[in-house]
Amino acid sequence: MLLPKFDYHAPTTIDEACSMLGHYGAKAKILAGGTDLLVHMKKRLLSPEQIISLNKIEGLKEAFSQNGTGLVLGPLSTAAYLADSRLIQERISVLAQGASRLGSPLIRNRATVGGNLITARPASDLAPPLLVLSAKVTLKGPRGERTLPLEDFFLGPGQTAVQADEILTKILIPNIQGISAGAYIKLGTRKALEISLVNTACFLELAQDGSIKLARVALGAVAPIPLLTPSVSKILAGVKPKNMDDPVFREAARAAAQESKPITDHRGSADYRRYMVEILTWRTLKNAYSQLMEKV
Amino acid sequence: MKKMITLNVNDREYDLVIPVNRTLTQVLRENLKLTGTKQGCGVGDCGSCTILMDGRPVNSCLVLAAEAEGHKIETIEGLSEEGQLHPLQQAFVEHGSIQCGFCSPGMILSAKALLDKNPSPGETEIREAISGNLCRCTGYQKIVDAIQSVAKKV
Repeated sequence: MLLPKFDYHAPTTIDEACSMLGHYGAKAKILAGGTDLLVHMKKRLLSPEQIISLNKIEGLKEAFSQNGTGLVLGPLSTAAYLADSRLIQERISVLAQGASRLGSPLIRNRATVGGNLITARPASDLAPPLLVLSAKVTLKGPRGERTLPLEDFFLGPGQTAVQADEILTKILIPNIQGISAGAYIKLGTRKALEISLVNTACFLELAQDGSIKLARVALGAVAPIPLLTPSVSKILAGVKPKNMDDPVFREAARAAAQESKPITDHRGSADYRRYMVEILTWRTLKNAYSQLMEKV
Repeated sequence: MKKMITLNVNDREYDLVIPVNRTLTQVLRENLKLTGTKQGCGVGDCGSCTILMDGRPVNSCLVLAAEAEGHKIETIEGLSEEGQLHPLQQAFVEHGSIQCGFCSPGMILSAKALLDKNPSPGETEIREAISGNLCRCTGYQKIVDAIQSVAKKV
């Protein structure tokens, strides 16, 4: 399969990239890892006249700890980097788990976190972990910079709050105060290069007295966008479960299933997906809670 | 639009003028005549175009040749030394891991990247490492056997 014709630009600073994008607007596409964009171009779903590559800009490929505020992920951090990074594994393991399930080893060496968010696929492997971690994204454009919560970023399949002249420059993960743990489960029919039937991520944070201070569950492939489930957070907030088999986790999982809006397609039926949301949410919550019990 | 690029492939520098919409697979095969790298699905599903970029296996069909500039590219042609097959290549021959052969270069490079990182992987790690490479002859067991035999030697 051949790529359509385009002009190629490789700016060396974000500002330069922004002014190019400002100049070309909707005629241009940003190239990060290319594992999604180039496929779409080969299939003629997209034929941008201009390609602006971010790959020659220094400092976008790593995650680092920012004093006081939390972790910053460069938008070009690859899935392989996120899966293998010590910092990510220790501080926010749920993201490392999601990243380790994306595509194949070959894809993970190219696919980037920024690209995975921008393409806004409902089955994204990185969006649910980032949603439960309360991530924020920074967008830069000709009118300046703005930061918004990731939950306000997704608008529909392939649609985001990013304007045609804006670049995703940073992903911020706020500091976590207490003891916390997360878990990610991806359900598919094969083990590699799979698009999820359902995926679920959860994040639990404990208060001093051992009760749950914060619970967040996010679901993939069961709504037009990666979906946070506020009802789960409400059910679990302030609860002090007896152990990981406490019925409150099943109750929360049932609420997650009710919040999901799956459709029937060739991968699975809506009913099956809704039931799997319940089961997988239950399992991620039990998994995260048992990790917490080992930490206290 | 054309661009002048310098590619470092198998420790050799190549100066090229290429249209910017050429993938690394196309340039390796058509400009450099390194046809060991195969073009299969073209969309990152099959892994027959696997090459190593700075030691990491990637789908070269999803890398613009222009983006490979400044990186160290290794293809299947770069593995043998002075006419001697690389131990992995030899093991593939000895274990009957090559049937039609279309997936072999990619399989071998994915396996090499694994062994360079982890000289004694278990079966699960081997299967995980080649999970982006499809063998349509379905000869996976012999491929895993071959990789395992090299892993033991290290």
